[in-house]
Amino acid sequence: MERRIIHLNIADFSVAVERLLDSSLKSRALIIAEPSPRAVVHDMSDEAYAEGVRKGMLLNAARNRCHSALVLPPRPEQYRKALERCVEHARHYTPLVERSSGAGHLYLDVTGTHRLFGPPPDIGWRLRNTLRRDLGLDPIWSAAPNKLVAKVASRLVKPRGEYIVAGGEETAFLAPLPLHLLPGVSVVDLTRLRHVNICRVHQAAALSVQELSVLCDHRARFLYQSVRGIDPSPVQPAGVPGSEFVYCHVFAPDANQEPVVRAALTTLVQQAGYGLRERGLGCRRVGVSLVYTDGVQLTRQAVAKTPAADDQALQHLALTALYRVWQRRVRVRQLVLSCSQLQHPVQQLSLFAAVDRSRERNRQISEACDAIRTRCGAAAIYRGSQGPLIAGAQLSP
Amino acid sequence: MDSSPVYIGACGFSYPEWIEAGVYPAGTRSAEMLGLYSQIFPVVELNYTWYQMIRAETVERMLASHRDLLFCAKLTRTMTHEIAEDWRAQAALYRQGAQPLLDSGRLLSVLVQLPPFFRRTPDNRTYLAHLLDCLHPLPLTVEFRHRSWARDSVFQGLEARRVTLASVDAPPLPDLFPALDVVTNPHLSYLRLHGRNLAGWRSGNKQQQFDYNYREDELAQWSRERIPAMRAACDAGVVLFNNHVAGQAVHNAQTMGRLIV
Repeated sequence: MERRIIHLNIADFSVAVERLLDSSLKSRALIIAEPSPRAVVHDMSDEAYAEGVRKGMLLNAARNRCHSALVLPPRPEQYRKALERCVEHARHYTPLVERSSGAGHLYLDVTGTHRLFGPPPDIGWRLRNTLRRDLGLDPIWSAAPNKLVAKVASRLVKPRGEYIVAGGEETAFLAPLPLHLLPGVSVVDLTRLRHVNICRVHQAAALSVQELSVLCDHRARFLYQSVRGIDPSPVQPAGVPGSEFVYCHVFAPDANQEPVVRAALTTLVQQAGYGLRERGLGCRRVGVSLVYTDGVQLTRQAVAKTPAADDQALQHLALTALYRVWQRRVRVRQLVLSCSQLQHPVQQLSLFAAVDRSRERNRQISEACDAIRTRCGAAAIYRGSQGPLIAGAQLSP
Repeated sequence: MDSSPVYIGACGFSYPEWIEAGVYPAGTRSAEMLGLYSQIFPVVELNYTWYQMIRAETVERMLASHRDLLFCAKLTRTMTHEIAEDWRAQAALYRQGAQPLLDSGRLLSVLVQLPPFFRRTPDNRTYLAHLLDCLHPLPLTVEFRHRSWARDSVFQGLEARRVTLASVDAPPLPDLFPALDVVTNPHLSYLRLHGRNLAGWRSGNKQQQFDYNYREDELAQWSRERIPAMRAACDAGVVLFNNHVAGQAVHNAQTMGRLIV
């Protein structure tokens, strides 16, 4: 059966939620950022965007561009609650609802639901009306045969509207579009293709995998499929409410030295590990997002077969994700670690005596650190990993 | 005067359940449905244009690949059910998007389907008059869903503008626009059959609202008297079935085709 995916995108989600919570903020330029001098712009309203403010920009630079903007600190818990309510409404139509990495994005797999709810455009329209009525949010919606095409369709009508792409029309739909609209196509890919005057999807679609591999190396297969609108990735259902832990580090100054970035990641991993163990949980998916100095944000993930909760396992996943995402030489401004697919870790007792002594020792250290953190606060103690971070910070002017 | 053509078809063509109902063969993709549909019926009412603005490039693709099919198209909801502040701009966009259809000579009519809450008030009358003017030169049909519009003065207004009044077959509910065969445009008559599912009509679920299978005698009520009368007064007629659930629209349309010789 032909797949039917609906993509909902609530543009400027953080701003939309802030305006819901305080109606006096409507039509006022808003910037969402931590109130610190090195903070980066987390989100901004249309008014601020029109003045040149962009995500990932330093707050001071953003303020210079939009003097009238009101700066509000991000309230992730409120955003999470609002998104969870959106998911609840979406679950009325299908159990397959995925929260995408970007805030305010939902994918619904409505394949096979037509007998109950009618054609997918009707579901998209009704869901949008429900969110408008009940939450005051006005999402863009698109209906397409897969997530990739649905996301491109949403991008075409941003900041408001809808787009329907029928199954079988993927190639014709994508053909005239610029390549940068395709999700997952990196700046490096775009640059390499631009060197041979390939800027549009139909131009790249004329190339074989072999020809693309000359230009884009190991990315060839992905690009070959993307320009044809092929995306077999399933809609990953959301977990229980609060099913993601997110930790963030802002570098001061921006950094691209490996020891500094690794140290920051290790610190976040320890925070995440403590948070997970405190709740008796483990996570199967660890995501690392990097916000570069030039505002580009990239995210990659690593997935484990069994839920991880100890620092060592989490560190392994986090490093895998880090090296997947860290492909640019541009300095990094912000590092975000997210732990999702939370489950209770399986603790299978060994039939034999514990042979992995380092692992056992590591577990004991984690336990000891956790005990101190419980008594004195989450930031009371870290393993000896912060040296490069402190040294990096001392370099700042 | 019975010789004017009557085109029979369905409201919409892209329904996955029509595969299960045997209208389309198993494994048919959405993009292939219009081609298969055009082998069954000569006219289609595009209903996706109610959800999203009609786009010239999409319409051009349809025209190029289905050379004999005639089209009707619904007006986008931002001008009927959710009237946007910039509705004039929306009307201009719609005209632009529908231009290839108009140029091809295969656009029978644009359907302005107004919701049940759109009653005959001074404001709504003014809005409708301006909307119809803004959509000129598209051929237009207006479908009312509230009986307050069932007045001679409304019909005369439509007649003066050469706008077709849609005749409807729907459940006999008190506030609904009645089933009439009034002809307001000598060029086209437009009949929409929604089914007579009394319980499902206000369920809020289109799968229930349009779940109805017409009996032959119910179709004959139209084919024996009303359609011939409308036919006699117009250059052409369109009969479209909206009871799409489980492919009933297709079967009923085929029956209607047999009844109207």
